[in-house]
Amino acid sequence: MRPEGRLGGVLILTFAIAYFIVGLSMPRSSLGDPLGARAFPLVLGGLLALLGLSLAVAPVKVGGGAEGSGRPSMKAAALAVLLCVYGYTLPLAGYLVGTILFIGITAYLLGERSWRLLIGLSAGVSVGIYLLFTQVLDIPLPAGLLEFMKG
Amino acid sequence: MEIMEHLAYGFGIALQPINVLYAFIGCLVGTLIGVLPGLGPAGGMALLIPLTYGKDPASAIILLSGIYYGAMYGGSTTTILLNVPGEAASVVTALDGYQMARQGRAGPALAIAAIGSFIAGTIGIVLLMFLGPPLAQTALKFGPTEMFALMVFGLSMVTSLAGRSLRKGFVALTLGLMMATVGVDLPTGLLRFTIGIPKLMEGFDVIVVAIGLFAVSEILLCSEELGTGEVIYQKVERVWLSLKEFLQSVGAILRGSVLGFVIGILPGAAHVTASFMSYTLEKKFSRHPETFGQGEIRGVAAPESANNAAAVGAMIPLLTLGLPASAVTSVLFGALLMVGVKPSPFLFQKHPDVVWGLIASMYIGNVMLLILNLPLIQLWVKILKTPPRWLFPIVLAISFIGVYAVNNSSLDLILATLLGVLGYFLRKSDYPLAPVILGLVLGDMMEQALRQALMISDGSLRIFLDSPIAMTLIVVAVAIMVAPKLLYRRGMAAESEG
Repeated sequence: MRPEGRLGGVLILTFAIAYFIVGLSMPRSSLGDPLGARAFPLVLGGLLALLGLSLAVAPVKVGGGAEGSGRPSMKAAALAVLLCVYGYTLPLAGYLVGTILFIGITAYLLGERSWRLLIGLSAGVSVGIYLLFTQVLDIPLPAGLLEFMKG
Repeated sequence: MEIMEHLAYGFGIALQPINVLYAFIGCLVGTLIGVLPGLGPAGGMALLIPLTYGKDPASAIILLSGIYYGAMYGGSTTTILLNVPGEAASVVTALDGYQMARQGRAGPALAIAAIGSFIAGTIGIVLLMFLGPPLAQTALKFGPTEMFALMVFGLSMVTSLAGRSLRKGFVALTLGLMMATVGVDLPTGLLRFTIGIPKLMEGFDVIVVAIGLFAVSEILLCSEELGTGEVIYQKVERVWLSLKEFLQSVGAILRGSVLGFVIGILPGAAHVTASFMSYTLEKKFSRHPETFGQGEIRGVAAPESANNAAAVGAMIPLLTLGLPASAVTSVLFGALLMVGVKPSPFLFQKHPDVVWGLIASMYIGNVMLLILNLPLIQLWVKILKTPPRWLFPIVLAISFIGVYAVNNSSLDLILATLLGVLGYFLRKSDYPLAPVILGLVLGDMMEQALRQALMISDGSLRIFLDSPIAMTLIVVAVAIMVAPKLLYRRGMAAESEG
């Protein structure tokens, strides 16, 4: 029995209790709406708390069911941070510039070491996607830094 | 026969060269929209409405519905190849489709999805012609009481999606239902669980959650396997479907078609519910339920057929009653208004050219899509040969367009990433993800239906006892949820629990 199973149950229980408490702060049922806004969430919070408690007390006994190789890796963490930065800066940098950088940096992170490919392929693919959406499908994408190029 | 005369009239309109061209363009663009992860049929159609400006009503609707089925067809492609669902309804297809791709059977999986969609689409259209009007009348009888019962029935599908532990399945389902409670509560206008973040007022969009939980977490997980020398994709053993595989799937396709069509008529999240239900049905009645989730071809055939049949069924409330009952038909509803056709119960009488032209074009579109899609399979399968270090960032960059298009908000991109991290940890701890989507899609409708029902009855639960449809659905749902436990106690499910 892996200890993480128990930890997961505790985390779920904690979250459920927090959700339940926030739910309690909502007003009781109003006239003509017997359940009101809080009944459904309270039931959900209670249900999840019970499930979390049960998983914390008696974790599921599974050998090797989970995906991935054990502990979280630095690579996955770096990729997640990169995605956040990419998402946050997309409207500022524009889709084209942002995507060239994102694809290039991610490919490098995942092991590509040919600089010619890193620059050429990132730029080529990004321009391709950009043209496909803006020209063929007529779906606007944020222009960002390249705003001045628009007529 | 009267219907045949109408149909001949419809073909007269749909076969005009210009309309055939529009149907083709629609199917092509729709397939593209469907294949690109993140852009579902409804979002894709809404974005492409400008394409219909200045066209006559029949042509405009033929073009848009071409996009609709094209997107339904294409939606399964990235789901099967990369475990990146194009839309919520494809989430179930991922369970077995992606496993098939990992075993080198991506070709047959894509082929059965296309063939299943074709058969289901055609059956759906035939049913639409003959049963449409009477069925629409029955669907009108579905009040909040029956809708709530239907949602409970939908939730019982979690038992087939739960994987090894039913408790973990219920945790995932409850998380999804909780996500549905975030945002503005419509009846009271109250903000719920927005914890001071304005972004959360709109609630969680299904596309953002599906892309985050599935696509982002998939790539986070795979990226760490990259260094370990394990070959993740690349393997493509066979591109074509064998006759044996086809014969195995025929039953699933036919059952999925009929079930999907019927569910499609009911308002709400038709495609999603239809594909989840048909998957459950196949698994429950299979002699080898343990093969589901391991690359079972019926697990691809059934939901893909059901969701295409549901797409046709969803047209019924629109065409016969003038009611948009799903996201996609709301877009069609808007498009009809724009070209000067007011959807109403008299659409068949007032605009026979639009209605019958559309029905005839569905037949044509279906054939086109099959012809278009089967050869494309060879091309799609090549995607798997792209080195993952390039494939992953490209898939993410395209998925992010779909997420961004939902609200034109970069906060959605960050939300999708955070959900991806959540999905990553859930998967590492062996929690199934499909129930989260099921809960999110059904949660809001379920709560609203329950509250409306109790408003009508003034708080008395008797209203459920008084509706035979609701009682039947609830009893069956409870039976489905409890049955695995009972079977387990008797030791019958011992081998599947391993």
